[in-house]
Amino acid sequence: MKQFWARMLPGDRVVVLSLLLVAVGLILLQLGRAPGRTVVAEVDGKVVFTAPLASDRQVSLPGPLGTTELQIAQGQARIIASPCPNKVCIRMGAVSDRGELLACVPNRLLVRIEGGDDHEESSYDLLSR
Amino acid sequence: MSTCLRKLSVLLLLLLALTGCEERSQRVSRSQLLMGTLVDIVVVAPSSVAEPAIDAAFAEMHRIENLMSPHVEQSDVWRLSHQPGPVTVSAETAEVLRRGQIVASESGGAFDMTLGRLKQLWGVESATPRVPSDEEIRTALQGIGPDALRLEGHTVYKRRPELQVDLGGIAKGYAIDRAVAVLRQSGVRHASVNAGGDLRLIGDRGDRPWRIGIQHPRQSGELLATLDLEDIAVVTSGDYERFFERDGVRYHHLFDPQTGRPARGCQSVTVVTDEAMQADALATAVFVLGPQRGMEFLRQNRAEGILVTASGEVLVTPGLQSRVHWP
Repeated sequence: MKQFWARMLPGDRVVVLSLLLVAVGLILLQLGRAPGRTVVAEVDGKVVFTAPLASDRQVSLPGPLGTTELQIAQGQARIIASPCPNKVCIRMGAVSDRGELLACVPNRLLVRIEGGDDHEESSYDLLSR
Repeated sequence: MSTCLRKLSVLLLLLLALTGCEERSQRVSRSQLLMGTLVDIVVVAPSSVAEPAIDAAFAEMHRIENLMSPHVEQSDVWRLSHQPGPVTVSAETAEVLRRGQIVASESGGAFDMTLGRLKQLWGVESATPRVPSDEEIRTALQGIGPDALRLEGHTVYKRRPELQVDLGGIAKGYAIDRAVAVLRQSGVRHASVNAGGDLRLIGDRGDRPWRIGIQHPRQSGELLATLDLEDIAVVTSGDYERFFERDGVRYHHLFDPQTGRPARGCQSVTVVTDEAMQADALATAVFVLGPQRGMEFLRQNRAEGILVTASGEVLVTPGLQSRVHWP
């Protein structure tokens, strides 16, 4: 290896070193992308709010019927107040796993959890009900 | 450069390629509120295929909603309910009506697309549901039945002008089938379209069959069973989803057209068959027919299913036995 290095022209060395640096950098970038979970809220199909699930907060999300209150606390998201008639969204409780959803159909609100690991596999992919 | 150096460079370039420049298949999941429910589409494909395919599938479902929603003014179904005389509808609405009429007729009227007035009377899904009087129910049932609508080409003739058409038991299934067709046209080979628990699958999940959980009709959050399935539709009709209670009695949204009251033979019916539209209509029909006639009706239609009787007994069609896992 030493011989190769010695035989190289300075320009070749720059090329090899640059390629090595880029490759190592990309690998580190991928390893470092251990995903945190994110709460994403959409009203009428448009993303109106995103925040990490790890930091506690409460947010007011306006929809056609009025304001829905979304609470993020202790790594869980839940709807705690809603102007809709049947309050189905509040009864949905808390979500915390990737792919889980909260929805308020009358107020056109959709909240989902994105990111996080995929390995906590549920016993089913889809629920027929 | 020397040969060795050249080899070293090639090796480094390969290393670069391995760091993720190549696009791999992944699970892309998107949800929208459509047709009064939450629609969730999952596609397993490179995101350059999945993203535009999902966009196109949602756009297609929006199009069907605008044709067949009773709440969209001037939609085919809105006009069918609001216009007394013959109504000319789109070819697609005519086809859905035609398919619905077949199920209505073969089920002896257990499936009915003209229960709009009865459903409004009960208001199960409204903020103010109520138990109507016998007289009110009798009035709301006048003129309904498998022959209540007559189709000539794309023109629909109503037997009585006041009849209100409700495609709730079939239009969602049709929209799911259309979304699946659009996904397939976009080159998707592994996907699921789930509209509020009514779903259809394209292929398997990529690594194994899809595992479909069936909601337990009496234990909220618990599964009745799971099914390993691919390339098929699954629709469940249950008395636990939309209901209200008065004096300890549960009044749900699946009405028996003969009595005008909620059907009492089953707690839930899950139908597994090729098309979501057929599964949707059959699930309603079987629920109303009750366990004995319902299981026979599934057999006649070469559909599979799981039925939970009013007393909690679970019946499974023979073709599904090997795919069911009990909790």
